[in-house]
Amino acid sequence: MWAELAVTTAKVVVVALAMVTTVPIMVWVERRGAAFIQDRLGPNRVGPLGLFQPVIDVVKLIFKEDVTPAAANKGLYYLAPLISLGVAMVTFIVIPFGAGHDVSLFGVPLRGLIVAPDLNVGVLYLLAIGSLSVYGIVLAGWSSNNKYSLLGGLRSSAQLISYELAMTLAVLGVLMATGSLHLSDVVARQSGAVWHWNAVTQVIGFAVFLVAAFAETNRLPFDLAEAETELVAGYHVEYSSMKFACFFMAEYLNMATASALTVTLFFGGGTLPGVTLTGWLGLFVSTAVFVAKMCFFLWLFVWVRWSLPRFRYDQLMQLGWKGLLPLATLNLVWVGIAMTMGWLR
Amino acid sequence: MAKGNGDAERVEEVLGERLGRGIIAVGRPQPDTLLVTIEPGTVLAATQALLDDLGARFLVSVGTDRRPISGDFAVTHLFSLDQSHLYVVLECPVASENPEIDSITPLIPGAAWSEREIRDVVGVSTRGHPDPRRLLLPDDWPEGVYPLRRDFPYNERPPAAEGTRPAWVPTPEGASVVTLGPFFPVLEEPSNWRLFVEGETVVGCDYRGFYNHRGVEKLGDSVMTYNEIPYLAERICGICGFIHSTCYCQAVERAAGIEVPRRARYIRTMMLELERIHSHLLWLGIAGHILGFDTVLMQTWRIREPVMWLAEVITGNRKSYGMNTIGGVRRDVTEVTKARILEVLGPVEKESLAVRDAVVGDTTLHMRTKNVGILENAWARQVCVVGPPARGSGVRIDARIDHPYAAYDEVVPRLCAHDEGDIWARVLVRIEELLDSIRLVREAAAGLPDGPIVAEITEEIPSGRIGVSTVEAPRGEAVHYVLTGGDNRPWRWRVRAPTYPNLQAMPAMAAGGNIADIPITLGSLDPCFSCTERMETVDVRSRNVRVYSPAELLAMSRRSGRPGGGS
Repeated sequence: MWAELAVTTAKVVVVALAMVTTVPIMVWVERRGAAFIQDRLGPNRVGPLGLFQPVIDVVKLIFKEDVTPAAANKGLYYLAPLISLGVAMVTFIVIPFGAGHDVSLFGVPLRGLIVAPDLNVGVLYLLAIGSLSVYGIVLAGWSSNNKYSLLGGLRSSAQLISYELAMTLAVLGVLMATGSLHLSDVVARQSGAVWHWNAVTQVIGFAVFLVAAFAETNRLPFDLAEAETELVAGYHVEYSSMKFACFFMAEYLNMATASALTVTLFFGGGTLPGVTLTGWLGLFVSTAVFVAKMCFFLWLFVWVRWSLPRFRYDQLMQLGWKGLLPLATLNLVWVGIAMTMGWLR
Repeated sequence: MAKGNGDAERVEEVLGERLGRGIIAVGRPQPDTLLVTIEPGTVLAATQALLDDLGARFLVSVGTDRRPISGDFAVTHLFSLDQSHLYVVLECPVASENPEIDSITPLIPGAAWSEREIRDVVGVSTRGHPDPRRLLLPDDWPEGVYPLRRDFPYNERPPAAEGTRPAWVPTPEGASVVTLGPFFPVLEEPSNWRLFVEGETVVGCDYRGFYNHRGVEKLGDSVMTYNEIPYLAERICGICGFIHSTCYCQAVERAAGIEVPRRARYIRTMMLELERIHSHLLWLGIAGHILGFDTVLMQTWRIREPVMWLAEVITGNRKSYGMNTIGGVRRDVTEVTKARILEVLGPVEKESLAVRDAVVGDTTLHMRTKNVGILENAWARQVCVVGPPARGSGVRIDARIDHPYAAYDEVVPRLCAHDEGDIWARVLVRIEELLDSIRLVREAAAGLPDGPIVAEITEEIPSGRIGVSTVEAPRGEAVHYVLTGGDNRPWRWRVRAPTYPNLQAMPAMAAGGNIADIPITLGSLDPCFSCTERMETVDVRSRNVRVYSPAELLAMSRRSGRPGGGS
């Protein structure tokens, strides 16, 4: 019992730290990546290649004055950034980072580094918790008592509701094919060969999921909720210092979660086609593979952000309801037919 | 430019028929300028005749305090007959007691700001003006103090007044207000837009601007001299300053009858087109930034930079070239610099073409700009919009072609126009102009004639002459009007920047759009607030500007967000 508790605690600490560490790294990657795409230098003064820039940024944010608008709804105003960050911090506990189900520590099976007990509703948990993040944004928009914030919050809620639907339908295709809500089963099913990956067998579903994931993370081209040039900074216009940093961290954590989820659901998780390793080696290799795949999607987030202009609110809604939703449904039909005909393993 | 002759006679004839004895005098200060002095009571009839029978386009109205000379005020309406290459100056003397004149705004919506400005600065009020609110005086400027009257010293500081702030247009029922400004991320300069919205749909807007008064015109007619003003004029705008100094110099040269050497005209043409190249690249970047496409911003500004360096090679300055002087230019373009120009233009053209292909092929940009911010052709004409916004709405005007100046009679620009009237059309117009400007610089460099670069001026500039000059700035047509005076300085110098008429078209373009469309719609005008607001009052140390200590500012920022305090 104690061993189990210790191992779980260790897993929580390791995974949480790893996820949180992606934030400064991604901030650096984003800034250097943007500079690379835009043919400029980017931060290069603090440390080699500007690597310590995020550290300086954090120090700066901590020492910024924390301003609270006098007319804000105080309770909700303080709660909003916590919801955003909190939700971002708890979503990844059901993701199987590695394979190696045969590995155990002090007699406790590690189960591919899944933090939580392997929930038999893992996917549902993810979708349910993920959609809570909108509360952070809506409450921030409402409680700031600022019109730009409010518009940002409203846009965000409309956006999340619309895209949640398409996203869930896309995930449904994966679940139909797998026949289980266990994320480790989803991964196991995709092992063996690249054409077993859901990204290959359900191309449409994958595309829908990816677009919806971009929309869920509120990043360009879907950053309508903050839209600097229209709404100043949208829902977090009245936030400063660490309260702003909470939103900032949440955005990057959401990116990491969305990448991890895409890898798990569509890119075979930690499996490497043609390679079957067991034991500790298997665990390490599969975790490394998982991280590598995740890095690709994280880079994709950065890449897309600097290569596309922002959509307009109504255009985003149209894309969601008239574009993605029918496509996701089409994907379900395809999976159904493929399963009936026995084309899917 | 004797082309206008026959048409000038026709204008005289038509006005003669319509006004009869309303015409006091007719003059021809320059072959392409017709000066008609009329009884103020006939101003509406004259305007109607110019619009209906002659197809004239309104440029700007100027209010002049002539009391020390002739004991009256003058309200001067400037018109352009683009097809005939002719300016028509309609001058109405206004008696100094209870100065008032009929408003022409009901006939020409685009005259609204000019007439409000006349009321503000010289105190000639306009009868029947649909919106007689204060336009450009500060909110606490006392009523009855008119800064451009001759008896108002340039350094006078009137006491702060209460309750003189102009009212906002009432909010339509059921709509709420979202303000953009006075400071807003996409606006490089202060400008206050009050949007009336229903949800995210904009149903109307109101504007309060002119936060950038720097007293340029007042300084021009009270402190500085003819040959100092070019350096002041080019500081009107931080991007296209050269057009203002050129336009001012041309107005004085025309008024005084100074013939500018060909070589100087060619050099001016080159500089004007270089300015257009870097200005359009700058605009393209800002448009990208507004749409959340910062990569376009970074790339275009990188392409733009060598053009700035080139300006430094030619003139010694990246900006505010200090090149123009009455009668020509101050620095020559040597063979070495000419080679350098051609060398720099090669990569600029290549990269501009690459950007054009990237922008034109981007479907998301099409979604954001096509059928957005539409300016109908008819309304564009009525509000007298100029420059790329006009040409994007199918109004085929270009000062370089309509009133050829500098060397544009020999280096002929292409008129780039589109008929759609949306933001995309304005984008295309600017990209085409950018590429055409590169061609023009090359042609001007190739055809650069030998000779002096500045005319020798031996005689004093006579007083009481008028000079009207237009220059096609990157943002549209700029108009400078000069009435020469004594003391080696103009009696009146009026600057009309291209953004001045263009901003007046904004309410029509904004209505029906989405909040998200407003920044790019405004951006598509390429607004330049410092140009528009050159104007005429008071230095910054006046009582109207309080200096806040950091602690006070901090306290104020903490208080912001108090209930009922703004958005």
